[in-house]
Amino acid sequence: MNKRISVGERVFYIANYIFLTLCAFVAIFPFFNVISLSLSSSRAIVSGEVYLLPVEFNFGAYQNLIEDGQLLVAMKNTVIITVVGTLINMVGTIMVAYPLAKRTLIGRKPIMSLIVFTMLFSGGMIPNFILVKTLGLMDTYWALWLPGIVSVYNMIIMKSFFENIPDSLIEAAQIDGANDIYVLVRIVLPLSLPVLATLTLFYAVGWWNNYFNVMIYINSSEKLSLPVKLMQMINNFNDTLLQSGEGAGLQEDMVPEAVKSAAIVITAIPIMCVFPFLQKYFVKGVMIGSVKG
Amino acid sequence: MNTTKPISNRLVLGRENRSIWKRMFKDRYMYMLMLPILVYFFIFKYIPMYGAIIAFKDFKFVDGINGSEWVGLEHFIRLFTSQDFYKIFRNTLFLSLCDILATFPAPIILAILLNEVHNRVFKRTVQSLLYIPYFISWVVLGGIVINMLSPTSGVVNQILGLFGVEPIYFMKSNAWWVVAYVGSSVWQSAGWGTIVYLAAITSIDMEQYEAAIIDGANKWQQIWNITLPSISGTIAIMLILKMGHALDLGFEHVYMMQNDAVLGISEIISTYEYRVGLEGMQYSYTTALGLFKGIVGLILVTGTNWVVKKMGNSGLW
Repeated sequence: MNKRISVGERVFYIANYIFLTLCAFVAIFPFFNVISLSLSSSRAIVSGEVYLLPVEFNFGAYQNLIEDGQLLVAMKNTVIITVVGTLINMVGTIMVAYPLAKRTLIGRKPIMSLIVFTMLFSGGMIPNFILVKTLGLMDTYWALWLPGIVSVYNMIIMKSFFENIPDSLIEAAQIDGANDIYVLVRIVLPLSLPVLATLTLFYAVGWWNNYFNVMIYINSSEKLSLPVKLMQMINNFNDTLLQSGEGAGLQEDMVPEAVKSAAIVITAIPIMCVFPFLQKYFVKGVMIGSVKG
Repeated sequence: MNTTKPISNRLVLGRENRSIWKRMFKDRYMYMLMLPILVYFFIFKYIPMYGAIIAFKDFKFVDGINGSEWVGLEHFIRLFTSQDFYKIFRNTLFLSLCDILATFPAPIILAILLNEVHNRVFKRTVQSLLYIPYFISWVVLGGIVINMLSPTSGVVNQILGLFGVEPIYFMKSNAWWVVAYVGSSVWQSAGWGTIVYLAAITSIDMEQYEAAIIDGANKWQQIWNITLPSISGTIAIMLILKMGHALDLGFEHVYMMQNDAVLGISEIISTYEYRVGLEGMQYSYTTALGLFKGIVGLILVTGTNWVVKKMGNSGLW
């Protein structure tokens, strides 16, 4: 902008850099701390020596969890819930966003209003629960997948993207005699890879982190997902901590904090690993959404 | 479908209805494609709205929604005269207000500050690090927060200990619990929230700043008189979205951080719905509460939208 930088501005820039560095540090410090706890020795944890880096590095806590096996089953379940759920979401969202992106479609406005209204008002927790139970979906993953086929917010993002595809491309295909389905599969979808990637990720993150629905709809212990299993473990540890400090399937000389931290890391890490690679898509997707609101 | 409405404001005035059918027939694949999803919206969104009438009934699973007995406003009267209601309503409003006051301005400030960074590598690194907390689940967040604030092994008390402060049991004190709740909210969402505002700031015309600099405006004046007014539309939209969820305060965030010692401040409408409704099986009673929450939420969204429009911004609809 301007070559001349006053003293006041220089102070502002330096303070700004320092402040933002601090913010970034605060944002990631908790992760460093929990990872360090999961890799430190019990002695170091109890005597409060663990801050940013592991002290007396060891994999004991992870070994403990893998031998126990429950968290691995939960992880397998979470992968199933996430993959199938995301697939259903994407197909469902495309099926409704594509027709609604066509400006000349008769009935487009009222249909859109009816859909957007569900974003502003809902029957509430209990009526949803009654519906799922009445349909006989309890304790199956369909209880998770079916009520959440389309997120209206994501559908609006996809629809806005479709609306911005040049009409000329679509018309050219239609003159060649292609029907709407062909246009969707051969022209619209290949042009929409950024938004498809973004929404796949939005949905997948949602499924991976889903807690509430699993908690209320899934009863069998062997069907539970990672977050719910993690919560149970945390609660169990807290109980044993209050009582005797023994039990909970812990090996000797293993403090709950280490195992708890290891479980937290196992639950959080897969999402955090994919994140850096897909960041630019995420950002793009949010911006598409914000254009339309 | 509704065919009469859009037609009236189109060119087809003179022609008979056949052309509508013709156009709809031409789009038949479109309708076939979205029909299953419209059925989905009907079953899983509109049927529960109908199901909310059990707030006026005495719902039992054996009788079903239609077969259950009508009881009029009994549940609402019980609700509005109960001690619990005022407690959870007050807690919900209070936590919501704290949450909005802290989490709403945070991303705006961060975005403005990030925009002033000219070193691209630094900017991108900071952004990436700030986004990360957004992707963890509430369980993980709860676990981490409880871990860090633990009086025996938490890192926060360790650090305070270095300065000679006695361990504080943060999660068992009402005031500290609210601080932890709001703080973790900001930690989780502030970075992610900057994306929208940064996009809005990027679209501001640079010439405005250049003109301001020539007029001798300092950084603060530039931010206050150019940046903020230029992104006010975005701010308004984000505020509407936030307000709509004021009573719909995230169940999971509160639930994960709750413990018996702080129920007095942390029991909110949705956790109460879960505890009393689903666990305690008082379905009709808590549906009345849910309905109350839903209607207030609807009023809040439409109200904020109206105010925003009055102020000259374009609203959500």
